[in-house]
Amino acid sequence: MENLWIGVVALFSDPIALLLFFAALIAGLLFAALPGINMVTLGAIILPFTIYLEPAQAIMIYGVIYVSGTYGGAVMAILFNIPGSAENAPTAFDGYPLTQQGKSGLAIGAAIVSSSLGGILATILMMIAAPTIGRWAIHAFGPPEMFALIFFGVNVAASVGAETFWKGWLSVMLGLLLACIGTDPAGGLTRFAFGTYYLLAGIHFIPLILGFFAISEVFVQAEKMVTRKYKAPKVGLVFPSVGDFWRMRVCIIRSWILGFFAGVLPGIGATLAAFLSYNEAKRWSKHPERFGKGELEGVVASETANNAATGGAMIPLLALGLPGGAITAMMISVFMIHGMEPGPLIMVRAHDLVWELFVAMFLANLFIFFLGYLETKTVVNLLRIPFRLLCPIIFILSTIGSYALRNSLLDVWVMILAGIAGYFLRRTGYSVAGIILGVILGKIGESAFVKAIIMVNYDWLGFFGRPVCAVLLLGGLVTLGWNVYSSLRKRAAT
Amino acid sequence: MEKNTFWKMFLVLTLVAALCLPATLFAMEKPNGFPKRPITLIVPYGAGGGSDQLSRAMATALEKVVGVPVKVVNKPGGSGVAGLSDFFMARPDGYTIIEHIDDAATLYASGVIKESPSEVWYPACIAQIAFSQIYVRPDDKRFPTWEAFVKYAKENPGKIKLANVANVGSMERVVTSLLEDDQGIKLTQISFDKPAERYGALVGGHVDALFEQPGDVRPYMESNDMKPILTILNERPDAFSDVPSLTDIGAKFKPLFRFRGFFMRKEVPEDRQKYLEWALKKAWNSKEFQKFNRKKYMHLINSYRGIEGGKVLVEETVETYKKMGVKK
Repeated sequence: MENLWIGVVALFSDPIALLLFFAALIAGLLFAALPGINMVTLGAIILPFTIYLEPAQAIMIYGVIYVSGTYGGAVMAILFNIPGSAENAPTAFDGYPLTQQGKSGLAIGAAIVSSSLGGILATILMMIAAPTIGRWAIHAFGPPEMFALIFFGVNVAASVGAETFWKGWLSVMLGLLLACIGTDPAGGLTRFAFGTYYLLAGIHFIPLILGFFAISEVFVQAEKMVTRKYKAPKVGLVFPSVGDFWRMRVCIIRSWILGFFAGVLPGIGATLAAFLSYNEAKRWSKHPERFGKGELEGVVASETANNAATGGAMIPLLALGLPGGAITAMMISVFMIHGMEPGPLIMVRAHDLVWELFVAMFLANLFIFFLGYLETKTVVNLLRIPFRLLCPIIFILSTIGSYALRNSLLDVWVMILAGIAGYFLRRTGYSVAGIILGVILGKIGESAFVKAIIMVNYDWLGFFGRPVCAVLLLGGLVTLGWNVYSSLRKRAAT
Repeated sequence: MEKNTFWKMFLVLTLVAALCLPATLFAMEKPNGFPKRPITLIVPYGAGGGSDQLSRAMATALEKVVGVPVKVVNKPGGSGVAGLSDFFMARPDGYTIIEHIDDAATLYASGVIKESPSEVWYPACIAQIAFSQIYVRPDDKRFPTWEAFVKYAKENPGKIKLANVANVGSMERVVTSLLEDDQGIKLTQISFDKPAERYGALVGGHVDALFEQPGDVRPYMESNDMKPILTILNERPDAFSDVPSLTDIGAKFKPLFRFRGFFMRKEVPEDRQKYLEWALKKAWNSKEFQKFNRKKYMHLINSYRGIEGGKVLVEETVETYKKMGVKK
């Protein structure tokens, strides 16, 4: 409690810190709303300037950007099917269909409340038990457990948004194949690189996300306009009620736990948190068939988890000096710039700084709730823009986003190709979400697998000698078996 | 009164001029006004890592020397390959330089890249040359010392798991295999591409040992989460006087180093190459950069090389890797 007070005083006694807090909050929201250009871009831009700030202010800014940026991406994902960054992609799975049904207000409202709730709960837990959880997580979760977790996740992923179970798996497999391109994570050998430097580095998922989601959507809507089937989505101003959230309480709690712990594990982070929790929401839902077609629970699961992960991600960073993603890695740089060594001792050595960060992140989550409410009232009106004007804007923004990632024009071509491929894949009942999932989970999963298999001395049964790992793998296998069985039965019935 | 002010002004200006004099004497003339516009520094690794930290520290120091902004651009991917495509696509006018490490020698020796890092592109400055150490957990009862480590490894061949960043043919792999042959032991190497996962794996007990440079794990030594049991150098540096070195354990191979430097293409006009070498050296010598490098334990061995010294270092490394039979 005393620590909390130190943090509050540090933040509020310094007008500049307070000013920076609000600037970071709003900048995070804005940057996250633009496709491709996300909070990571913002973080990279301001990194050199942090040298002129107090260390506590600089670190606090990144914490706030992380929180507001993770939420901010949801709005564009819901309204235009353009996930600002990867962690908002699952939000688009159901958020965009909801918009098309004229329920944009409902989806955005749910996103705000669940983001804010997930984030607040996570920061509280972070304040109470950061060092303990940090130590526990790195002991309990090694590469074999990471692999098992991803295996567990991928099994549900296969049925997101595809016509049949088999087409879903084919989509995921395509994603896994794309993830193979480049340098392998074990020995640095090259695969499918054809001697080009670009492919050697691997295909990044950001241009793929923008292509498969935003660009293919532009094509789909354009086709509707040409064939005169286009109907502008109605601007929905109905917000979710307290009762709606009460009905989803189990989903919220589950997503929060998943998100928080996914955030704690280095190398997993907010993106996987959102995907895994979306998968689990679908797995346990009474109506899994509604997912991908506008199920509010999908939006809630994804947004609760990715904001919970922001709190989780601070734990390995502050307790052990281990960054889990791009923003936390930049926070390491900020520490370094100010001559501090981030590591297991940072919570002792920079006690006040850490608590100022905790308080700032807590407040940022709270402010999202209020800012988000205002934003919703205004931002849904973007839908009133005629699509023929919106279409080129989406195109240009996505192009900028792809280019800005690595300043590479080839990424733009990848985006356009993915857009064209996405258009045809969607027409034929394949799932673009499945492909993206395959790419993201494939990269992390393979990297974990190659380490894990060496750890168990190339003995498959070795995985089952580790309890956490065994449970997750069995869970995945059971799901897979059940899905195969039920889809075969369905086929026999027809 | 007015006169007084005049003299005061005169005095101040003279002092300022006097102070500026040494600076102008030692400052190299800009060749045809180069550089006029911002310099781009490509970092082929991600934000926050060792290369990124070095590049940002250097960019800040270099800006003051050259008088134009130095823009750091991260292009991570493919163990340092992704950034190279941009580097080779940019005009060789000296406005684009790249940070690279000993991976450049590995990539060339193993045939992944065709451009020799000592002939087609080469260092204008090597800014860090770091030795490596082997770390274990301080509470690991099985091997508190290197002696015990070797004994354990001999009794349980392949059981000790060593985390590193080893691509095939990288410095880590080469040194580890030299060490294994020399000591007659067999370790299992596990490659972790992200530093966070690598350190977490040792602290969390998923691997038994870690191959790393002391500057990168300093905080973990201070918090007693890791401890070095072997310094891969022929002599013991002061800061690690209680850790055995290669000579102490009777190893008979030449230690290899992790080096990081700033590279330019051979097509850059000669006068600009000379200017870049001079400017980077001046920045390297600046107080703030030296402070940064000390924190990374870079003062323990001479870690600066210019163009010629850098070429020799890279060439030697490539030769060693080729001799080790590094193949694709």
